[in-house]
Amino acid sequence: MKRVRIVALREDRKRLLEHIQDSALIQIKKPDKKNKGFSKVDVASQMQVFERNVQLCETTLKILDEYAREKKGLLSSFSGRKEIDPDDIGVIASNSGKVIEICRKINDLNKKIVDNSAEQIRISTSLSQLEVWQKLDIPINTEDTKSTAVFIGSLPAEYTDKELSDTITQENSKLEFEFEIQYCENKMTCLVLFVPISQKTMAEDVLRNLGFSKPMTGTSHTPAIKAERLRKRSKELLIDSEKAENEIVALSDNREDIKVTQDYFRIRADKYSVINELDHTNHVFVIEGYIPEKDYEDLVKLCERVSTCYIEAWDADEEEAPVKLKNNRFSTPAQSILTMYAPPSHADIDPTPLLAFFFYFFFGMMFSDAGYGLLMVIAIGIILKVFKPDTQMRNNLKLFQYCGVSTFFWGLVFGSIFGDAPAVLYNYFTDSQITMAQMLPWPTLDPQKDALMLMIISIAFGLVHILVGMGCKFYICFKQKDYAAAFFDTGLWMLMLVGFAVIGVGMATTQTVLYIGAGIAIACAVGLILTQGRNKKGFGKVIGGLASLYDVTSYISDLLSYSRLLALGLTTGVMAQVFNMLATMFGKGVVGMIFMIVIMLLGHAINIGLNALGSYVHTMRLQYVEMFSKFYEGGGQEFEPFSLKSKYIKIKEDK
Amino acid sequence: MFTNGMFFALVGASIATALAGFGSAKGVGGAAQASMGVLSEDSSKFGKMLVLTLLPGTQGLYGFIVGFLILVNCGVLGGDVPSIAQGLAFLGASLAIGIGGMVSGFAQGRAAVSGIAMSAKDDRNFSKAMVSVTLVEIYALLSFIVSLLVVISVPALKI
Repeated sequence: MKRVRIVALREDRKRLLEHIQDSALIQIKKPDKKNKGFSKVDVASQMQVFERNVQLCETTLKILDEYAREKKGLLSSFSGRKEIDPDDIGVIASNSGKVIEICRKINDLNKKIVDNSAEQIRISTSLSQLEVWQKLDIPINTEDTKSTAVFIGSLPAEYTDKELSDTITQENSKLEFEFEIQYCENKMTCLVLFVPISQKTMAEDVLRNLGFSKPMTGTSHTPAIKAERLRKRSKELLIDSEKAENEIVALSDNREDIKVTQDYFRIRADKYSVINELDHTNHVFVIEGYIPEKDYEDLVKLCERVSTCYIEAWDADEEEAPVKLKNNRFSTPAQSILTMYAPPSHADIDPTPLLAFFFYFFFGMMFSDAGYGLLMVIAIGIILKVFKPDTQMRNNLKLFQYCGVSTFFWGLVFGSIFGDAPAVLYNYFTDSQITMAQMLPWPTLDPQKDALMLMIISIAFGLVHILVGMGCKFYICFKQKDYAAAFFDTGLWMLMLVGFAVIGVGMATTQTVLYIGAGIAIACAVGLILTQGRNKKGFGKVIGGLASLYDVTSYISDLLSYSRLLALGLTTGVMAQVFNMLATMFGKGVVGMIFMIVIMLLGHAINIGLNALGSYVHTMRLQYVEMFSKFYEGGGQEFEPFSLKSKYIKIKEDK
Repeated sequence: MFTNGMFFALVGASIATALAGFGSAKGVGGAAQASMGVLSEDSSKFGKMLVLTLLPGTQGLYGFIVGFLILVNCGVLGGDVPSIAQGLAFLGASLAIGIGGMVSGFAQGRAAVSGIAMSAKDDRNFSKAMVSVTLVEIYALLSFIVSLLVVISVPALKI
């Protein structure tokens, strides 16, 4: 990684930055301190405009999704961004104003619909309140006349005419009154009460005692007319909203344009946020950043082509510089597994190739079915061809494709092709009793019968995996010239594990081998006791050495952990077998055939889903917990070049 | 009373399948509740939540496989009818994955709930959450392997 500094004329700024953004060669580094004689250019206001436009497009797309859902295929999430010609950017830019106008319009229409539906709710509350006054033939707001006071309202109980008049008389026998009950149901009585104006206060007291309340919705028309008007208004609003909705649907043809425009503004906002950080003088500006060594020539060529500038580069400080992973086609797909854990720091080696190999290998061993493997390879091949996904998605798919290849081979080793489907189907149609092992021309290792054997094999693979991890540690220590750590901390343990392996072999074969293994192990143990306390003082030296032997438990538990290779391999096989068995249980009639096909398809789909997930998760765990813990530090910064970070479009490279 | 060990073998198959399934059901159920809480806020996390939710589901599978292998070896779906001692051996073997699977299913379910909460806060925590949750699984695995090794060797035992 190199540090690079480009000094160029301000008039070239737009062109140069655009080209750098297109090429995605350098990661821009903010100046750490204020440099004398330089100042910043404030472009925050432009940036805000761009960001607001991005936001506007985003909400518009959401609105469009609500009213006119985009028709998407089931697999469309695999498809890559749309490719556009570099020359089209000018067109997009000149159209952007128009598109933003459309976005505003869609937003306004949406606001109208939202407002309308809020008003609809208000209307429907008013209507339900007016419901009980439908029979009233005077306005609710009717005022007192010269001689008569009018009370219109409700009481919180049900009364008949007689009960009400009795109740009022009981409250105040002097009160003269006349009333009319409008509505009486649900613990509520709506009434109109007339009293002489001289007795108004008396009547108010009586009514208050009875819990009288005035209606919420006042109107100077009769309730019937008011309700009619409200209904009419509601209908108008409905039509209005519908019209607005139709307009939005009509405008949804612009969806693609909006997406493209959003990306356009997103890219520009990115660029301006970089400009905001750069140092400027009156005539020149300075870009500082990191660049991978091999790309430096390209950058120089590019800059000289588009601007008048001065470029200098020097070796970057390793501790601060970001890390760019560089891998071949075989191991690149596994890079995402590595970065999910942590990008390597400057002290680490890049373990991706090892990771990739073991990832494919173990995944295949766990998923272990030739049929499923083939299916993965073919399905992913088709998806890659048809949808042309973006780099990251393509790498993820490739990861599973390679895993599929390994799954295929392990399936052949275990004699499992969609479980025992070939044998089951053969037996089903010919009424014979053949097994997979008899059917396949090559010798197979049946995880069910030879489980113990397979467990030993799994742990042996585990041993290799762990030794490789420790080998990396050895290499790293050696490179840092920490020979004590390399030989004593790592080397002795590696030898010790080898010793254990030899003991294991010896137990199965001859005594001599066993003694050799035991000799190695004991020698290593002595070595460890002698060396592990080397940084401690006095008595601590012995204790430290002895205590280090306790680590043997962690190695044993690590090794046992690899028995999951057997367990998951077995799970896939047995589940497939169970479904095959279920499928052929319904006899040979037409119905039986239909059942067979349905159960097989469904069963194997479930099996693939469950066990692919299990294999993925557990393979990952073996890498992270068992292998990485031996040597990998992580915690580096990933190289993130200044580039076109778009969501929907990508720009075709000039060829 | 018993002339052969079929009954014990079948009880064993049931114990293996049901207890381990019980553990997984509880684990997955709790994790699913937690993940639905997260999904109600942000449905785009479905894939990750699904992975974490399904992790405590393996115990049930292991139990089922041991149950199935017992059926295959005890004369129900193949194999010979076991002697009483062999039947008891099947029963004994099923206890390992039954109990181990059940308890580790509970524990893994709780770990998965925490993992879901963790990766809901920050997507980058997902791989850490996932690995931490699988740490529990080793104990279910060990139980499974013990059950498995016993079940497949019982038919050959002269007891």
